[in-house]
Amino acid sequence: MVRLITHNLLACHVKGCTSNNFPLEFKDVQVVLRESEFNPDFLRGFIPKIEWSALIGAARELGDTSLPDQLPEMLDDDFLKTLHHVLLEIHVEEGIMVCPNCKHNYPISNGIPNMLLAEHEIG
Amino acid sequence: MPPAVTPTRVASEPAAYEDAHVHQVYDHIAAHFSSTRYKPWPIIASFLATLRTGWVGFDAGTGNGKYLPLPLERPGELWTIGLDRSRNLLEIARTAGSTVREVVWGDVLGCPWRAEIFDYAISIATIHHLATPERRRLAVKRLLEAVSPEHGRILIYVWAVRQDEHSKRSIPTHDADDTGEAGQDVFVPWVLSDDKKQVFNRYYHMFADGELATLAAAAAEELDLVVGPPRGQSLKGVEIVQDGWERSNHYVELRRWQT
Repeated sequence: MVRLITHNLLACHVKGCTSNNFPLEFKDVQVVLRESEFNPDFLRGFIPKIEWSALIGAARELGDTSLPDQLPEMLDDDFLKTLHHVLLEIHVEEGIMVCPNCKHNYPISNGIPNMLLAEHEIG
Repeated sequence: MPPAVTPTRVASEPAAYEDAHVHQVYDHIAAHFSSTRYKPWPIIASFLATLRTGWVGFDAGTGNGKYLPLPLERPGELWTIGLDRSRNLLEIARTAGSTVREVVWGDVLGCPWRAEIFDYAISIATIHHLATPERRRLAVKRLLEAVSPEHGRILIYVWAVRQDEHSKRSIPTHDADDTGEAGQDVFVPWVLSDDKKQVFNRYYHMFADGELATLAAAAAEELDLVVGPPRGQSLKGVEIVQDGWERSNHYVELRRWQT
């Protein structure tokens, strides 16, 4: 699955592609929503790692505009539930992730992203 | 008695060799292999149980994803992404533990992540499938580079030449291995339990005593990390906090630090 939590961790790793290689841009996606158990303690622990603007951008590419532009100071349950949904319940099943820098395409098929590179592309 | 483990030598270009003798084999045997691999090993389970709620990590060579649901007593408190070369194993791993898991089709020698973004990484029974010392060292470097420089934790398991007394395997003695390198390159047969009883030979590098810790230290040094407990000022390092052997496997636990 590529959920936005994973998307927020992935970066292009083609040889020499070391700047502007994150976040990957979604293209031609098919999305499925699946409920998952809400765990506020997990979210509070994970929040410091999130690249917020990348998350907001990716969520909008997938048609979700429920998160604020800035990470709020108050992490109340309403906010955490919205964050939970965006990070963990939107599954990209099919599509492509494109590197904003080198334009390498990483296809997603049956929910599994293909991050393999040819031997000569490996850094 | 399973068919014998036989000595081998990496005869071709290592990436092509691994493709033929590791990746293609696992893609063929995925379903049967997975049905025999369901029980987490205790040291790995207890390592994962010590990690803090909210931490994210990855499992380099996740296979059927049996470590992705852990710790079972704190479901959902860690987020482990499974990485593997075998697409067929990933199809199994994506539903490990009866819920949907995150898996990525990739190579342990690649680094498809934001640098140093993870809190932990595990690599269980994977690095021994890489066909040269340089590639095994690079795999350890990739783990070190992917975790937090302040607190990143890593657990690595590989197969040992030294087998325990209950092992069903008969292991060849060092056979004309004149490379001067530690360990032993072997083929380990896998017999598919279908009508045809097809045999697939998987390539393994079996690790000698001390070889895994030496490999980890060499990988750390190539990244200009000090090897040892935290010390000094403005230094970055990695400590080998466990270096052990159990059930015919060597393991090391590493912890990154900076002062």
